[in-house]
Amino acid sequence: MRKVTGYEKRKEYLLTAGGLIVGVIFLFPLYWMIVTAFKTEMEIFQSPPTLFPNTIYIEAIKNQFTSDYNILGAFKNSTIIAITAMIISTCLAIPASYGLARFNFKGKRLFVFLFLMTQMLPATLVLTPLFITFKSIGLLNTHWAPILADATIGIPFSVLILRTYFVSIPKELEEAAKIDGCSQFSAFFRIMLPIAVPGVVVAAVFSFMFAWGDLIYGLTFIGKPDQRPITAGIYNALQQYSTSWNATMAFGIISILPVVIIFIFMQRYIVSGLTNGAVKA
Amino acid sequence: MKSSRIFSKEALLAYCFVLPALLYMFVFIGYPLIYNLLLSFQEVNVMTFTKPVKEFVGFQNYIELFSKPGAIMPKIIMNTVVFTIGSIAVQFVVGFALALLFKNKFTGSSLIRGVIIIAWLIPVTVTGLLYKFIFAVNGGIINELLLAWGVIREPIQWLLEPITSMIAVITANIWIGIPFNMILILTGLTTVPETVYESASIDGANTVQKLFLITVPMIKPALMSVLTLGFIYTFKVFDLVWVMTKGGPVFATELLSTYSYRMSFDEFNFSQGAAVANILFVVLFIVGIFYTRIIQEDEVM
Repeated sequence: MRKVTGYEKRKEYLLTAGGLIVGVIFLFPLYWMIVTAFKTEMEIFQSPPTLFPNTIYIEAIKNQFTSDYNILGAFKNSTIIAITAMIISTCLAIPASYGLARFNFKGKRLFVFLFLMTQMLPATLVLTPLFITFKSIGLLNTHWAPILADATIGIPFSVLILRTYFVSIPKELEEAAKIDGCSQFSAFFRIMLPIAVPGVVVAAVFSFMFAWGDLIYGLTFIGKPDQRPITAGIYNALQQYSTSWNATMAFGIISILPVVIIFIFMQRYIVSGLTNGAVKA
Repeated sequence: MKSSRIFSKEALLAYCFVLPALLYMFVFIGYPLIYNLLLSFQEVNVMTFTKPVKEFVGFQNYIELFSKPGAIMPKIIMNTVVFTIGSIAVQFVVGFALALLFKNKFTGSSLIRGVIIIAWLIPVTVTGLLYKFIFAVNGGIINELLLAWGVIREPIQWLLEPITSMIAVITANIWIGIPFNMILILTGLTTVPETVYESASIDGANTVQKLFLITVPMIKPALMSVLTLGFIYTFKVFDLVWVMTKGGPVFATELLSTYSYRMSFDEFNFSQGAAVANILFVVLFIVGIFYTRIIQEDEVM
């Protein structure tokens, strides 16, 4: 018996060491981004490089808020775009996924297939037509152009995620409510929806992050710098000051903050979304 | 008769729920898709953009892509294939290895596994920027490490040379893809009952045998769906390459997606840009149908 526990213990130590090494190597690029933001220009080009800043230099971060480029404005644009896209896609996906989960009707399989396929389309495919359409109806250079386009990424994902959620809720719950006099719609709103809240959260979080991370729509549909989301802003900043690495890294850190915060608080939801959205569909 | 009436009422209700989302997707995806197809059969560029009636030219744009003097289309298809296969091969193998590692319970296993996912979540634009710095000629950590270890004598111009720039963009893409592969394979691994391994151990199977004779066959559907999904997501990558190299140097990392974008929005040759996008679409559509087959086998839709 003692021999076995000794072996088990050694195995656990080895696994822990392996896990730590993997974690350190894999997360090193992110660590590097953070420390670079706090280094002086001179220290960045120092050879050999320093693992930790000799002196903590906060000017690069501070400059982000005082430079000509209005980073807070870009942050606000991204927030407006991502939240609106999230609302549109969640509001449309909830009823659609419920319909696809609960009812049997002609075309159901086709619809599921269509949602599945739209999830795989490249943005370049619809970019030019959307550009021309938005131009003709005057939506170019407004937040609406990327909002409407970004929601098309969130909708199919949310529909597929939420469908598996609604399928897993026992139908009897709803039947009971209907016997008690609820209509189909109120049974949906009062019984099914509250149970599906975790799924709705997953769908909303992903829709937000898809829209927050988008570059191509924001870059193409909005020409005015002060209307652009932060991803397009960072892309332009890079073209201009390509070697000011502490500034670009500082910019990068600020722009990923919402994603990191969401990640910290909703990690469990995110993992479930990743697995359910991709495998079960 | 009665049952068919109930069916139609149910169908009507179902359409009420499904239609809004479907309509939205038709307006913003379906219609543009058709529009794009038409565009690729017309002559729409900076000269003809304002003309009310566009000339129909059939497959002219597609033919021109391959046959015009100095056509780089074959090269771009090759680049896209290299980028996709290179990314998938490494991220699948590493993702699988990490899934096997993190399947075990040990101190910090769920914490580390969880934190790794962040690489997949952060906006690709920022990842592109970060890797542009990592592969920088001066001050880039890759060059510094290789110099310090004595692997190279002179700094490598990673993003300025054809082959090394492809290696750099593939590396960045692998970093994004590993968590995705790991999580999905890990989910597959948890479906294999522990008793199967126990009885295999009694029969004298070693670790490698267990991996290839039990694990791989048992989670084959999960592995197939990871590979096809990985293919789909990688084949259409745009942001990462656009931020890191913009397809350069001299088209060395130009992919179908970036080429399509360049045609339409740098050269304003909308029709040829649309034609490139449609070629990309056909490939994804075929693989996409293959993918839906796999998950249908896996689970009744």
